[in-house]
Amino acid sequence: MRRYWRLIGIFAASSISAQLEYRANFVVNVVGSLLTALGSLFGLSILLGTGSSLGGWNQLEAIVVVGVFTLVEGFMGVFLYPNLNKIAESVRTGSMDFTLLKPLDAQFLVSFRNIGILRVTDLLIGLGMIVYATAHLGSSSASGVLTAALLIVAGFASVYAIWLMLCTTAFWWIGVENITELFWGFFRAGQFPVTAFPGWGRILFTFVIPVAFITTVPAEALVGRVEIGAVFGALGVSLLLIVISRVFWRFALRGYTSASS
Amino acid sequence: MNPSLEPRTIGSLEQMWRKSKALFSVWFAHMTVYRAEILIWMLSGVVPLIMMSVWIGKAAASGGEIEGFTPASFAAYFLAAWVSQQLTVAWVAWEMDFQIRQGELSSRLLRPLDPFWEHFFRHFSERFVRGPFILIIVIAGSLIVPGTRLTPDLWHVLLYLLVINLAFAMRFLIAYCIGVLCFWLENATAFDEFFYVLLTFLAGGFAPLEFYPPAARAIIEWTPFPYLVYYPARVLTGALTAPEILHVIGVQLLWIAVFFVLRAVLWKAGLKRYGAVGA
Repeated sequence: MRRYWRLIGIFAASSISAQLEYRANFVVNVVGSLLTALGSLFGLSILLGTGSSLGGWNQLEAIVVVGVFTLVEGFMGVFLYPNLNKIAESVRTGSMDFTLLKPLDAQFLVSFRNIGILRVTDLLIGLGMIVYATAHLGSSSASGVLTAALLIVAGFASVYAIWLMLCTTAFWWIGVENITELFWGFFRAGQFPVTAFPGWGRILFTFVIPVAFITTVPAEALVGRVEIGAVFGALGVSLLLIVISRVFWRFALRGYTSASS
Repeated sequence: MNPSLEPRTIGSLEQMWRKSKALFSVWFAHMTVYRAEILIWMLSGVVPLIMMSVWIGKAAASGGEIEGFTPASFAAYFLAAWVSQQLTVAWVAWEMDFQIRQGELSSRLLRPLDPFWEHFFRHFSERFVRGPFILIIVIAGSLIVPGTRLTPDLWHVLLYLLVINLAFAMRFLIAYCIGVLCFWLENATAFDEFFYVLLTFLAGGFAPLEFYPPAARAIIEWTPFPYLVYYPARVLTGALTAPEILHVIGVQLLWIAVFFVLRAVLWKAGLKRYGAVGA
C-alpha cells in the first residue's frame, strides 16, 4: 500500500513537470475555466430572473450546486481525462501490454499515471463558489460541511467508476474513443438541483444517471437541509459503482488478447 | 512565387457539379463508418434538451406558463434549438490545427482544389449521417411532452432549411477563421473552445432570448450567436412573421460576407507564412 502512495507522488511530479513546459496553455485554461463559470452563473441568473425559485432553491443555494458541479468538473479534468481516456488508445496501439506486464495493479496504473494540473483552476473556482455562497447563506453547520466533504469524495468515486466503465468498453469497441463525452453531456444536468426537473427528469437523473447524488445531495448537506436517507443513498450508490466497475474492469482484462493477436 | 498562392478557380459549372458530387459521396461514405462516434457526439450536445426539462419544470411550478411559454411551446422551442445546434456543428478549426501542425496541409495544397471545399464537404455530408438520429430524438421528444408541435406547416420547414444552411455557413466560416489562426498561434483551437462556451450560453440553447435581461439581449443581438440557434429555432416553430424572417436571412448573409472576406484575407496571409518556414 505504501508503495502505491509513493508511486502516486512520483507520477504526479513527473506529470506536472512535463506540463509546466507549456506555459501559454495555463493562461488559456484559466480563461476557459472563468468563461465557463461566468456562463453558469449568468445562466442561473436568467433561470431565476423570472421570479420564482429553481425547484425550491434560491439564488445562493443554487450557486452552491453550481459550485459542487464545477468541483466535480475539475476532478474530471485533473484526474479522469488525462488517465482513463488513454485506455482506448493504448488498447488500439497495443501499449496496454506494457501496462499489464508491470508488477502493479493495472487499474491503478491506468487511473493515476497522470495529473492534468492545468485544470486545477476548476477545482479552485468550484471551491470559491461554494465558500462564497455558504458564507452568505450562513445556514451550514460543521457537521453539514463534514458530511458534504464525505459526499463530494463519494461523488468523485461515483464519477470515476462510471468513467472507468465507459473507458473499459474500449476493449471491445476500439472505434469509440469519445465515449466519455456521453456521460459528460448528461452530467451537465448536475449544475441544477435535481428538483428543478419535472418528474421524468428527476427519475432519470437520480436512478439512471446518478447525477443527483453527485451534485445535489452534497449541496443539500452544505446548505443544511440534507436528509439522512439521501446521504446513505449517495454513499451506497458510490460504493456499488466502485465494486461494479472493478468487476467490469477485471472481466474486460480477462478477455483481452492484445492488439495484433 | 509559391504555386499555392495562385488564384484557384473551381472551373466551369459542370466541373463544379462533378467535383461536388465526388467530394460528397467520398466523405459521406467516410462519415457512415464513424456513425457510432457521430451518435456519441450528438448525444453529448444535450444542453438544449436538459434546459428543455428545466424550463418545463419551471413552467409547471409557476402554474402552467412563463411569459407566454407553455410546456408544449418550451418543448417545441428547445427541440428546434437542439436540431439547429446539431446541424451547425463545425470542427474545422481542429482539422486545420492538425493539418498545419502535422504538415499534412502541404500535400493538400498540391491538389487543384482549395482545401476549403474538402473541409466543407466533410461537414456537409456528416449532416446526412446525423439526419436519421435527429428525427428519432425529435419524435421521441415530442411524444414525451404532450401537445408538442414542432412546426406549423411545410412552408416553415422549407424556410428553416434555408436559414439553417446559412447558419451552418456562418458557424463553419467562423471556425475556419479560428482554424487559420493556427498558422500563427499554438493554441488557436482554444479560441474555438471559448467560442463554444459562449455559444452554449448566448446562442439560444440555454433559454429563448425573451428571458434574457433586455440590456444583455440588446448586446447579444449584435453578435452572430443568436443567428446560429435562436432565430433558426424560431423560424422552424413558426414564431416569426415573414418580414422578420427576411430580416434574419439578411443579417445571416451579412455575417457570412464578413467572415468570408476575413477567412480569405487570413488564409492568404497564413499561407505566405506557412511557405516561409520552408514547409
